[in-house]
Amino acid sequence: MSAINSGEIDLAVVGAGPAGLAAATTAAELGLAVSVFDENATPGGQIYRGIEAVAAKRGADFAVLGDAYRAGESIVRDFRASKAAYAPNTGVWLVQKDRQLGIVRDGKAGMVAARRVLIATGAQERPVPIPGWTLPGVMLAGAAQGLLKSAGMVPAGPVVLAGNGPLLYQLAAQLVAAGVKIAALLETRSERAAALPHLPAALMAGNYLAKGLGLIAAVKRAGVPIRRGVTELRALGCERLEAVEVAAGGRTERIDAALLCLHQGVVANVQLSLAIPLKHEWSAAQRCWRPVVDQWGNSDVEGIAVAGDCAGIGGAEAAAHAGRIAAFEAARALGRIDAAARDTHAASDLAAWRRHLRARPFLDALYPPAQGLVVPADDVPVCRCEEVTAGQVRDAVRQGGTGPNQVKSFTRSGMGPCQGRMCALTVSEVIADALGKPVAEIGTYRIRPPIKPLTVGELAALE
Amino acid sequence: MSGTDFIVLGGGLVGSAIAYGLARRGKRVAVLDEGDVAHRASRGNFGLVWVQGKGLGMPEYADWARLSADVWPEFAAGMKERTGIDLNYRKPGGFQLCLSDEEMAERIAFIDRLREQQGAKGYDCEVVDRRRLDNLLPELGPEVVGGTYCPHDGHVNPLRLLKALHKALGGAYRPNSKVTAIRPAGGGFRIEAGQTVHEAPRIVLAAGLGNLPLADMLGFKLPVRPQRGQILVTERLPAFLDYPLSGVRQTEEGTVMLGSSREEVGYDNGTSPEVMRSIAANAVRVFPRLKHARIVRAWGALRILAPDEFPIYQTVPGHDGAHVATCHSGVSLAGAHALRFAGYLAEGRLPAHFTAFHSRRFDVPKAA
Repeated sequence: MSAINSGEIDLAVVGAGPAGLAAATTAAELGLAVSVFDENATPGGQIYRGIEAVAAKRGADFAVLGDAYRAGESIVRDFRASKAAYAPNTGVWLVQKDRQLGIVRDGKAGMVAARRVLIATGAQERPVPIPGWTLPGVMLAGAAQGLLKSAGMVPAGPVVLAGNGPLLYQLAAQLVAAGVKIAALLETRSERAAALPHLPAALMAGNYLAKGLGLIAAVKRAGVPIRRGVTELRALGCERLEAVEVAAGGRTERIDAALLCLHQGVVANVQLSLAIPLKHEWSAAQRCWRPVVDQWGNSDVEGIAVAGDCAGIGGAEAAAHAGRIAAFEAARALGRIDAAARDTHAASDLAAWRRHLRARPFLDALYPPAQGLVVPADDVPVCRCEEVTAGQVRDAVRQGGTGPNQVKSFTRSGMGPCQGRMCALTVSEVIADALGKPVAEIGTYRIRPPIKPLTVGELAALE
Repeated sequence: MSGTDFIVLGGGLVGSAIAYGLARRGKRVAVLDEGDVAHRASRGNFGLVWVQGKGLGMPEYADWARLSADVWPEFAAGMKERTGIDLNYRKPGGFQLCLSDEEMAERIAFIDRLREQQGAKGYDCEVVDRRRLDNLLPELGPEVVGGTYCPHDGHVNPLRLLKALHKALGGAYRPNSKVTAIRPAGGGFRIEAGQTVHEAPRIVLAAGLGNLPLADMLGFKLPVRPQRGQILVTERLPAFLDYPLSGVRQTEEGTVMLGSSREEVGYDNGTSPEVMRSIAANAVRVFPRLKHARIVRAWGALRILAPDEFPIYQTVPGHDGAHVATCHSGVSLAGAHALRFAGYLAEGRLPAHFTAFHSRRFDVPKAA
């Protein structure tokens, strides 16, 4: 099989978010032949989605989307100015341990070889399985935000936001700035007492708290009704969402809604790193899996590194530093610079990266996902593709299913087109809960290629 | 654990089917299985209940495969009755297709040899030309020249089969019980599985590739090896295919399974793009319409093969109470394992013709 790119690739970067772009720019500056593969049409990833279009044609939207979004402008600009090759609209459906990448673009699949691979596939939203979450009109907050960024689309009709985490407040502030009327912001329990010990470190990390408080203040100023400590969230409706039901302060409330945006934080997107597979560990603080990497991003597989949120949630700014750190290490590993030069080059990024990460323990402790949402009741669907409920998962466990792979075999959970992206965490949590064991012992689905859409015909014509 | 008649080591399709058959006959059984992650051919197989082409070189195996297909309807009905689980077993007969005249000629010669071997019993497998195929299979690719059809072939949802067997076994199925030691004790066996100890007068080694270390514990070198097969599965498509083919079948859910390859790669159950590509390319040659179907998943699984690829059934030399059942056709043979083989074990003796399945068949002196 010949490589699609004729030239040799020193560093193949998967993902064009802050980590991937910063890594590619830096590695190219150091003289490496870099190729960035990304499934989106334009660079920026989820966090800076559509930023070039906004900068060029919709400058006014920066006021809506905020300064944190605008920070992506320079990262994308530097990347465009670099010598790194860029393959947009390109799915990476396979990464092998020998650093062969399976890619697909415009209906053509091919294999590409690289001396080193950097996985920078970012974060994904934690699923929020509540009764009715599969109704049209219910979406995850990040998806709603994506529409706002890429298309400037604002929802019509009453909007309810529910869950917790910084992104929920950011979306609320953006919607308010866009003139959308928010019927209610329903916040599940935040753990101020548990978070307090981590506050001093977070204060040293930068302006995270000030930004967060600013967002909350803006939402309050706009008169958005906020309910705190809500439980028993339900999306109601027949054909589509009609209302949201919630318990707060000992009583149940019903709020009419055309759009419900759910959020329970973001988690590392480990689909690709699991498929290779790299060694992973359970992060109890972030309640998700992440690949085991050293400070340079090196995984347990020689020549394959991971940087940014897909190695554990640190946020966009930390991700950009992690990308640069990984680029310096790539240059060292490929013999362009020695270890001493790498250490010198990377010193300021390492310091900044660690400083940003100091905010995480506070945020992770303040906004833990609600127990009732990570371990839903029996009648709640957990696998949307195959329509498997939490109760069916528990049944499979009662019949001797000891882990997610046996449960997958017996229920079809995780067998649909998303390959468990949307249900893996929930299924492992439900099994752990049912067996009274920690999730770390339960494990997760074995992920198999292709992890991005690929047709039989494309594979048959693989070059 | 006292009062157990049989401990079955291995909770895949072979071990579970045998244990289910023993339990059906009133035997008290325990099935010791590993946890979520193991070799598990039972979770990775293609799902055919297949007869055609099997047993050239060992008539007893050709008969055994056919017998299993004959009892499969009764077996599936029994599983449904006991567990409420429909195995999606269908027996419309199956095809193996040929993509060139040479392939067709080879196939015909192969089936003729089998027919000759089976002699007076006959061999139900007919050659079907392209014209007749066009009436039975939809929109075949231009390269398909013909194939063979066997009315005893069928297919099943193998995951439902495993689930139903475990459900039927109930509390007798014990996961997370990886066996760490087998010790002969008081005329029977003492099995250590992690922190627990189990005892029974008779045991059955039915753990697929896991049988290698288990037999080793009794000083027996079992002559089997892993052989990898890769499978692709597509998204759900509207029903278009009424018959299973040797490398293509549409499931009850609508997904299409594509297989299957043979690779000698040891215990690596991963996938490789070259083999995935060739499976996809073959599928498109047979059914061009599959070109547009999205692949949901590919995987590798390990067959359990003896040097001649036929099953091994015997007792462990020097341990009359320790039986071995090792084969790569855990789906096809599930009917025979549950409804016949378990009966032989329960009665305490294998039929005389089962000596053909003994591993001493490999002990031929090397030619000078």
